Amino acid sequence: MLITRRAAGKLAGTAAALALLRAEGARAADQVVKVGINLPFTGADAEDAIRIFDGAVLAFDEANETHAVPGITFQYDKYDDGTATAGQYDPAQAATNARKMVSDPATIAAIGPEMSGSGKAMAPILSQGDLATVTPSSTNPDITNPKFAAQYMPAGKAIYFRTVTTDAFQGPNMANYVAETLKAKSVYVLDDSGAYGVGIADSFQGQAEKKGVKILGRDRLDPKAADYSAVLTKIKALAPEALYYGGVMQAGVKVVKQSYDILPGIIKAGGDGVYSNEMLTAVGFPAAEGWYASIASPHLTADPAAKAFMAAYQKKFGFAGTDYAITAYAGAQVIIAAVKGLKAAGKPIDRHTVRDAIQALHTQTLLGPTSFDQYGDLTDKTVSIFQFKQDAKGKPDDLIDQTVYIGVAPSA
Amino acid sequence: MNEAAAAAVSVLRRPLARVPAAWRYRGFVVLLAAAALAFPTINGNDADIDSVANAATYAILALGLNIVVGFAGLLDLGYAAFFAIGAYAYGILTSYQVMPPWSGFWEPFAWLGLVQQFPAETGTGFVVHFTVSFWLMLPVSALLAAFFGVLFGAPTLRLRGDYLAIVTLGFGEIVPIVVRNVSSVTNGAAGLNGIAAPRIAGHSFGVDAEPYYYVGMALVALLIFVSIRLRDSRIGRAWMAVREDEIAAGAMGVDRTRTKLLAFAMGAAFAGMAGVVFVAKLQTATPEMFGFPVSVMILVMIVFGGMGSVWGVVVGAFFLQLLQSWWLADLSGWIDAFGRAIGSDMIAHVDLVQSIELIFGLILVTMMLYRREGLIPAVRRPPALTYEQQHAEVRRGFSDLRLSGLGGDVETGQTLLEVRGVTVRFGGLVALKSVDIDVPHGGVIAVIGPNGSGKSTLFNAITGLVPADEGSIRFDGVEILGLQPHKILERGVARTFQNIRLFPNLTVLENVLVGQHARLRTGPLRAVVRPPSTRREEAEAREWAAEILSIFGNRLLPRVDQAASGLSYANRRRAEIARALASRPKILLLDEPTAGMNPAETIELAEQIRSLHTLGVTILLIEHKLDVVTRLAERVYVLDHGEIIAQGRPDEVRRDEEVLRAYLGRNAQAGAAAIV
Amino acid sequence: MSLTTILLQQTINGLSLGAMYALLALGFTLVYGILELINFSHFNVFMFGSFIGMFVLQALGVQGQATVLHGLPLVGALVLALVTVMLACGTLGVVIERLALRPLRNVKGPAAMITTIGVSYIIYNVVLLAFGAESKNYPNPMPPVAVDVGGATLRLREVLIWVIALVLMVALWVFVQRSRMGKAMRATAQDAEAARMMGVEVDRVIVAAFFIGSALAGAGALIFGIYYNFTNYNIGFIAGLRAFTAAVLGGIGNVPGAMVGGVLIGLIEAIVSGGLLEVVVGPFASAAWADVWIFSILVLVLVFRPAGLFGRMAPTKS
Repeated sequence: MLITRRAAGKLAGTAAALALLRAEGARAADQVVKVGINLPFTGADAEDAIRIFDGAVLAFDEANETHAVPGITFQYDKYDDGTATAGQYDPAQAATNARKMVSDPATIAAIGPEMSGSGKAMAPILSQGDLATVTPSSTNPDITNPKFAAQYMPAGKAIYFRTVTTDAFQGPNMANYVAETLKAKSVYVLDDSGAYGVGIADSFQGQAEKKGVKILGRDRLDPKAADYSAVLTKIKALAPEALYYGGVMQAGVKVVKQSYDILPGIIKAGGDGVYSNEMLTAVGFPAAEGWYASIASPHLTADPAAKAFMAAYQKKFGFAGTDYAITAYAGAQVIIAAVKGLKAAGKPIDRHTVRDAIQALHTQTLLGPTSFDQYGDLTDKTVSIFQFKQDAKGKPDDLIDQTVYIGVAPSA
Repeated sequence: MNEAAAAAVSVLRRPLARVPAAWRYRGFVVLLAAAALAFPTINGNDADIDSVANAATYAILALGLNIVVGFAGLLDLGYAAFFAIGAYAYGILTSYQVMPPWSGFWEPFAWLGLVQQFPAETGTGFVVHFTVSFWLMLPVSALLAAFFGVLFGAPTLRLRGDYLAIVTLGFGEIVPIVVRNVSSVTNGAAGLNGIAAPRIAGHSFGVDAEPYYYVGMALVALLIFVSIRLRDSRIGRAWMAVREDEIAAGAMGVDRTRTKLLAFAMGAAFAGMAGVVFVAKLQTATPEMFGFPVSVMILVMIVFGGMGSVWGVVVGAFFLQLLQSWWLADLSGWIDAFGRAIGSDMIAHVDLVQSIELIFGLILVTMMLYRREGLIPAVRRPPALTYEQQHAEVRRGFSDLRLSGLGGDVETGQTLLEVRGVTVRFGGLVALKSVDIDVPHGGVIAVIGPNGSGKSTLFNAITGLVPADEGSIRFDGVEILGLQPHKILERGVARTFQNIRLFPNLTVLENVLVGQHARLRTGPLRAVVRPPSTRREEAEAREWAAEILSIFGNRLLPRVDQAASGLSYANRRRAEIARALASRPKILLLDEPTAGMNPAETIELAEQIRSLHTLGVTILLIEHKLDVVTRLAERVYVLDHGEIIAQGRPDEVRRDEEVLRAYLGRNAQAGAAAIV
Repeated sequence: MSLTTILLQQTINGLSLGAMYALLALGFTLVYGILELINFSHFNVFMFGSFIGMFVLQALGVQGQATVLHGLPLVGALVLALVTVMLACGTLGVVIERLALRPLRNVKGPAAMITTIGVSYIIYNVVLLAFGAESKNYPNPMPPVAVDVGGATLRLREVLIWVIALVLMVALWVFVQRSRMGKAMRATAQDAEAARMMGVEVDRVIVAAFFIGSALAGAGALIFGIYYNFTNYNIGFIAGLRAFTAAVLGGIGNVPGAMVGGVLIGLIEAIVSGGLLEVVVGPFASAAWADVWIFSILVLVLVFRPAGLFGRMAPTKS
């Protein structure tokens, strides 16, 4: 009754969607391979999710148009792991999406998730289903940590591949920069009580201490609260040379705005949560001026090799690509390359062969030479640092215009 | 539908109509159970099974909140706190988060399989790794959550409804914050990971959704059973009495504090179990999973399904969960495809799943405005009275009926109720001043006086509803001043209220059964298990109720299953008296029992009161109608401005000058004296 | 920074917070005093108001904090924004009362409160779906003027908040004590039946209470925007809970109580978040635990002294 009606409805809907979506480009005898793209399209991270999604979509659409892999058409399914109830990514929804992808035999690989909290919930399911996913932005190191292999890789094989490096490098490398290059002798650390924020703040703090920087204190902020002036005033009284904020922009907007008033003139830095459009749209200048932000990948948007990508992205979607759009594009390239290799070798294309192919992959993507270690981590551990500097001539909402690329963060 | 089809349907309906309602109900339940069992086999999609398994968790939560809000009327806006407690309890005891150093203390636990010895990460030595079983944690988490329910509830359950809501909201916020901050135990914001999946016969559930589905559904079935058993028991009636009218419930012998705490703890226990199931399936737990939006979502489920309706809330929970998981996504897909087909960019990007919270808000508002009872209402409308019953000739009660067990031993001549020097002050106002009253065993005493003289306050002082500032009240030789109302009822003091305080949404029968609350012994455990002793007790209680109701002839008996709010005014007075009598009181305090009745009804009721008296019930009566007083009372006290101004036989008091002045005023007194 | 300087700065912080909470608490306590209803939608009317203020200022040409006005244009812009926001929020409040609450006026039990939760959700989600989840930069025409007071910084916007809040609170107090409608409100709060019998149109009183309360929330919202320079869909919840605690602490239903309560809660929050008690109580007095402290105050007041500091304006309905 209910079940068959629903199945019929789903079938009709899928058929209609397929018919409408894939009218152009599919050749009669093309094999269709599906990739699930799981990102938090609902809630606080929606804007970033769209940019990442577009990066991957660009790659797949290009592959289809140019028939990059002869005889193969790539199809992507959009999965939303954000829920209105959580107001952001929801691990339970991510787990559900993982199950959906695993139980769909046509899905041979996945892209995402954006947030590590979802990744932790998805990894065991993906591992059991032997479905590889390539994440362009999840940086929590636990998921690919061999210490936790029993939890996140119960089937034993790596399935969580990243086209970014992890917070195990992002936090500490920024600490190195702050200690060695900026020569700050004291720092106060804040986090936004979220999973990502606490993790990266912890790793920053640990490395800073090792480098001899005095940690004057550590505080946890409530992202929903509006006023951090009390905490910032307390910090002001301690007169640190630097302030580090680990977290995303929900609290970040207020931290940046209020520390502009209360802690002028000191060094301020954050992780890739701070490297966000909201610094420009919600915070703006002069408050954002001077903030350092790291990202867990090399900086490529100014790279001539990425020029073509940036132009195509701008043309297709109407706004500029970001560095995580590039890593998403690279992630899609990884999957495409794996499938291409399998097709060329005449092997069957299913999720098991795709996973193995990705594991063994040495290919050239927008990031340069790309390969993964045995746990799924990117072999390239580059962390890039930017600084927000207002460019009155540039587009005010454009991250590339309004930040200056400082360089690669020094590794330990 | 054409005629042939209509005829076919009516033919099909006929055999069904012949099956009595109870069997239809059971058949339906069996069908539902069969469908639930068969579902995973029919629909092999793991994701679909997963969605239903998740929905089962929320159904458990809805059942729990239904006990707190639906049955007991306690608005709890922080219910997710107990969900979190159960979840984290399981998580901590089955993951690698808490690893205290190994010592001999842990040996017996290891032997029991609750812990394992693990090599320490750093250095040498061993640590404890908790490996408590899922099946053991289900009841343990339930008990732990119930403990916290009692902890939160004990200081706060006496607050008024809206204040209670805010306080519970506060607890609901505090628990995730505590979880987030105590990272050594809970891993804080990063969340607990690596929580073990349940194991059965050596096999782990793994990540397949099916076993979780069966466990979830089984738990839902069990808790539906428990909810229904509780609802139809002494405990359920007590909860509903507290919900309907707390004051009256206390006066009828319900220990309000314990009853509310029980509801709170029961609800918390359900949530604790739901937490275990939820987190065992997800194998991860983060503080964000248990915030205010989750508490509201469960509230929406029970509002939508029907507050107080067991099946209703289950349907509500499943419906709203599947709406989120399946139907909204599908609907969005069709709308998007349609949008693409007609080339509208805006329509092609509609995502209804994102608006689920908006839908929740709309559900709350529309349900409260237009269908407060929910989808499947809790109150079943009884069949209407037949023509014959409605137009039956009124037969009064059998005045020579021997009602067993009423009144107790009558020691004629002894004082049953002794009120001495009782003074009650409300701020600056002195409502009662040094009042002395004696009610002998087997007597009928009336208290009269003008409006505002403190008569009802006197009753309230005797029954413990209002604290007396001075004086003493001795009942049957024991001091009862300062006791809780339900304790006073237990000793044999029952009352009715001036403005009738029946439980409006309970049936007449249920009202009278609540009256017996203090005399029945079934607790929550026996309510669920229903051993023969409980069955017997319930049957006897119903028999006794029928006996009491028959005092009023055929006025109330045909209407036993009608909601009390639907009765006529006079019938409601009678029902209230019946309820008070159900507790087998030694003394009955009647507060203006004939108010609002016409002369014929008044005489009838006066006769029924007199017949009660002959059965050995002592009566203390507040009355305005002097003819009733004269007819019934052997002694009258007159109150004016909180003081006794006269006492004696009715005919004496009638002529007393003070009394006349009090009632009629100074100038009229002379005129009245001429008439009397 | 010396201890006195820190204390001074935290006091300034606390007073500004407190002024905002007081405005929000006032609207809340007005409605409760008359209807004995906890209006959950109040906090999201506040949030709605901040968005309206943002649109008005943007329409006037103010972009972010870059556009700075002085003198008459500054006052004009702020007054226009304030009046518009207060009218808009007041209207929203009246609409809510009319459509969602009046039909339930005589229904016993939690129905009305549940409805306000539903309305709150609706406003919250409409704003979220319409304007997205990211924070918005608030248009603020105020010049960044600051003054040094004993080592602490006192900004123009802080002074502005205190002035606006004070003016509004005094106006409300005068209105409640002196005007006819104010008297009608006080009478209705004490005994609606008696007031009705004395010729007070209780319906109109309730509408007035909602209008004024919501308008005050709107004023608080505009202040929030130009003080913090941002707004988003989430600002109602935490501010709301703090304001509710303030109202309860001061004595729910009591107008001056709400003002005092607001200031107290603001100061407490500043002290706890500022870590001033960490010396005494340890890490449990840090910013991370601020919410727990505030909620604990709420619970303790409700359990042990439900009348709050100043008692209720009217006795409790049984």
